[in-house]
Amino acid sequence: MAEVSAGQVARLAVLFERHHRALFRYFVSMNGDREQAEDLVQEVFFRMLRYRTSYDPAQSFTAWMYQIARNAGVDQVRKRGAVQVVDIDTYVERRAELVSASPGPEESASRGQDLALLRRAMDQLPEDKREILVLSRFQGMKHEDIAAVLGCEVGTVKVRVYRAIRALEQIYFALEKEKVS
Amino acid sequence: MTCEQARIQMFGGGEGKDFADHLASCESCRNEVSRIGTLWQSLDLLPLEEPSGQVRERFYEMLGAYRQRLASAEPRKTVPWWQLAAAAALLAVGVGLGYIVRGTGPFSGQAPAEVSQLREEVANMRQLVALSLMQQQSASDRLRGVSWAYRAEPSDREVLGALVTAVNHDSNVNVRLAAVDALRRFSASPETGRAALQSLSKQTTPIVQVALIDLLVDLKDPEAAPELRRLSGNETANEGVRQRAQWALERLQ
Repeated sequence: MAEVSAGQVARLAVLFERHHRALFRYFVSMNGDREQAEDLVQEVFFRMLRYRTSYDPAQSFTAWMYQIARNAGVDQVRKRGAVQVVDIDTYVERRAELVSASPGPEESASRGQDLALLRRAMDQLPEDKREILVLSRFQGMKHEDIAAVLGCEVGTVKVRVYRAIRALEQIYFALEKEKVS
Repeated sequence: MTCEQARIQMFGGGEGKDFADHLASCESCRNEVSRIGTLWQSLDLLPLEEPSGQVRERFYEMLGAYRQRLASAEPRKTVPWWQLAAAAALLAVGVGLGYIVRGTGPFSGQAPAEVSQLREEVANMRQLVALSLMQQQSASDRLRGVSWAYRAEPSDREVLGALVTAVNHDSNVNVRLAAVDALRRFSASPETGRAALQSLSKQTTPIVQVALIDLLVDLKDPEAAPELRRLSGNETANEGVRQRAQWALERLQ
């Protein structure tokens, strides 16, 4: 990116080939819309060109890229109006009994890894929890980079990752119980 | 180390001696680590989404256009599309008033050159609005750009080129479909038929293929016959598309 920033804009192609799939998956995980995700990937690389001089080589490129990606996503939501957010606390409370009686995911996994259920559970996670799981698990980002993207401390990232995976577990159990009954 | 600290540590290293000591002495945390760890690992099994090839095509087009703009001595200033649209509307009103004034006022019949120049400026503005909108990242803006293409001059090759690019490369099927329809405005140009024919061989979305076939029939393009014949006999093609291609062949003969 330092070369792009210095004026060699053609070098952006290298970054595109390296990162466009990960960005696409980030957006699909966040909004579930493939076409919109493709538009947003395009927007991110366009913004990288437009704001290339603002890139600081001392800063992590991945963190900078995902900051742009988040802003592009937020702008898109603003354009399209507010999105519906699942209230996970209410959701989990309503199913507290089911959750406490549900089997562990290990057992579920051994029954055939119900990936469709896991996907649904991911989709039902509140946006902030889904995002931190996507960044840390699917994008394989370091906690330091996630902290830079989200504007918080590394310790906060660890706590939020833990809370997100716990919330995912609870939704997963609830969905599994619904499926069985 | 408390249980909460240990559980958080699970995702933040988890190799420390304190963490290991805590796990060794706390069954509850061992269970938690095992259960959550399995779920964490199973996230890896979720199928990965792949972007379509259009993402790459659009990126390289965007990069090429950007480099061209940088290379040009006078880079064009980016003007928001709505400002261009407002300017086009004002100019159109100006031209309309010009006609009224010319028809009834003291200068009646004395300013055909000025009016002609104004009309040209209106056309340029409309072209700019259409082109600017069709380059936007939002699909709804690009759709708006396609609708502005109807206001461009039927001889406007730049707008025609932008529509053809949209038909071939836009990631949104609605934009592609709208662009095919808008190509009808440019039916007098021989490039329109050629572009529709080339696009038909590239398209994979049945609804866009059918729209292109209908366009070729409307254009009465005899050069379309071989491609239509190939498509109607292609067993891997969508059944509806094959039938439409057969229908088009009969219409063109």
